[in-house]
Amino acid sequence: MNERKDSIEERAAKLATEIAPPRDLWPGIEAAISAEEQPAPRRYFMPLLAQAAAVVLLVGASSGLTYLTMKDRQAPIVVSPDLVFERVSFARYDLGPGFQDARDRLSSQLAQELMRLSPEARGEVEENLAAIRTAIVEINAALEAEPDNALLQELLLRTYREELTVMHRVGGLTQNVMTRNNGQRNDI
Amino acid sequence: MLLTAESTDYSAGMATAPDADIRADAADEASLIERSKASDPKAFELLYRQHVDKVYGLCLRMTGNPGEAEDCAQEAFIQAWRQLAKFRGDSAFSTWLHRIAVNAVLGRMRKSKREQERIQVVAERSPHQPLAVDSGELRDLTAAVNRLPAGARHVFVLNAVYGYSHEEAGRMLGIAVGTSKAQLHRARRMLSEALAEQDAENAPDRDP
Repeated sequence: MNERKDSIEERAAKLATEIAPPRDLWPGIEAAISAEEQPAPRRYFMPLLAQAAAVVLLVGASSGLTYLTMKDRQAPIVVSPDLVFERVSFARYDLGPGFQDARDRLSSQLAQELMRLSPEARGEVEENLAAIRTAIVEINAALEAEPDNALLQELLLRTYREELTVMHRVGGLTQNVMTRNNGQRNDI
Repeated sequence: MLLTAESTDYSAGMATAPDADIRADAADEASLIERSKASDPKAFELLYRQHVDKVYGLCLRMTGNPGEAEDCAQEAFIQAWRQLAKFRGDSAFSTWLHRIAVNAVLGRMRKSKREQERIQVVAERSPHQPLAVDSGELRDLTAAVNRLPAGARHVFVLNAVYGYSHEEAGRMLGIAVGTSKAQLHRARRMLSEALAEQDAENAPDRDP
């Protein structure tokens, strides 16, 4: 047994420790690290543009949202049928049950929250979410072709988070409006 | 660190005497690390070129699968880029990279049990596909190593192939020294049995 052990260890020590990979791994690494330091490559311009547009719209909508909801309290309620939320699919990676739960909860509350907004404010929120949803669809489509692309995975994760943020902020804004309204009614 | 034959294209013009090579490479490496820490991707690419064979080699030995090894090696370099600020030179850069590579392999296997099973299945389905880099009797050993359970294989690769102590292997794998020793003992026993079986199977072929 000792001879066999020695033989195995001697042979193991002779195994190559430096092995060249069959392909150059640098392009994938470069893409991933560039995403952290530099603008994304041109081919992913559209998803990034969609995200940027969503962020700009979000900022605009957020600043005017409170004013609009206060201004138009009696507006008729219309619920958009376009905002349908699917389950999160993220290549082979799991975003975690916490994220999924939060997303499901906010999605189910969103229709109710939107009902409290004026048509104008509601339209802006829906535009924001539609832009983000478009970005998600585009990035998912790109990931179909390149499931191991770290840049796209990162991008998708960020976009899902943005979607979550928008939904959360809509809930927060309507809650604020309700609280203020209640306060006014009590004063009366 | 001496560059391997595969990466000589990137080392043109370097000194040829071994000692001079080592000194020049060490100085170059320190400089490249500093430049990489300052977010210079070109410098980091040179570090990648110098170390990729070591990192990929370790990932391949640990996973037993070229595709998985490529992904793990890529992930290891991405993580290395992100964590470069933490590298203080207490150990060799290659050792530091090895630790990150081991984490990449373990992290990948932990991510999904299904994926872990797939890695295992792939390894089991191709036990007799020796690596091109291994020749002769070493191919049998490589095939047997690839068939080991993940825990035993990882310890065997780090200890017997790469020469890390049980303390070092334990730290890298997040296991106790005693566990590392037990896994190595288990690996030796299983390899002895596997190689004996292979010898028995090959014996009739050797007879005239």
